[in-house]
Amino acid sequence: MSDLMGIMVVTMIIWIGLFAYVYRLDRKVGRLED
Amino acid sequence: MSRLGTFLKLGILVWMLVVIWAAFLWVPSAEGFKGESSRIVFFHVPTAWVATLAFLVSCVASIMYLWRREPRDDHRAAVSAGLGLLFAVLATVTGAIFAKIMWGAYWNWDPRQTSITILLLIYAAYFALRGAVPDEEKRASLAAVYSILAFVTVPFLMFVVPRIYFSLHPDVVTNADPDNRLDSAHAIVLLASSLGFTWLYIWLYTIGSRINGIRHRRRQEVL
Repeated sequence: MSDLMGIMVVTMIIWIGLFAYVYRLDRKVGRLED
Repeated sequence: MSRLGTFLKLGILVWMLVVIWAAFLWVPSAEGFKGESSRIVFFHVPTAWVATLAFLVSCVASIMYLWRREPRDDHRAAVSAGLGLLFAVLATVTGAIFAKIMWGAYWNWDPRQTSITILLLIYAAYFALRGAVPDEEKRASLAAVYSILAFVTVPFLMFVVPRIYFSLHPDVVTNADPDNRLDSAHAIVLLASSLGFTWLYIWLYTIGSRINGIRHRRRQEVL
């Protein structure tokens, strides 16, 4: 795997982790609003 | 959560994954940049753009607060200023990584780096001010005036200062020289990334505003 591919995979993992965190937070806020 | 809401949220996940793939593997490395350093532009420029947008929204919400005296406008101003600060830090970090590859040092006190440092300090002081005033109405009024004054410095620090003084910072997006502009593939990815980051900002802004709304309602219930 080239360096560029490695950096891309790490960036994608960071993005998926960030997305999962924000998505869970969004759902939690939705439950608190109900 | 509505179906459209879920679709838009999952849409941003896929959109940004495609942007990341395109930024690293689809577009060729730009000429005139060392190694693969040009690829960081696809993340650096959008974060700087979203920071400017967030500070503008904070300023508009502050004007709305002074006009209507609605607490939700103060909450919106605070949420947007916080997101602006976050994205400005991300723009600074990605810029420092670019500087390391291009010029051999993370920090050169280039006019761009100096002006963004001043901007970060101005908005950090906004939160220090909010934390120092216990009375809710007084805090909201003071913070609104401060936020409007703080935004006056944004165009000056982001666009004017770096163009007055000699800067190492490349200006490939807005410069007038057609030979030194982004080609279409780079422009497409940059635009797509900017759209994705704006989308993310809107989502985070909505969540932050809702959280502040819940906090406000609970405080009202206690009183």
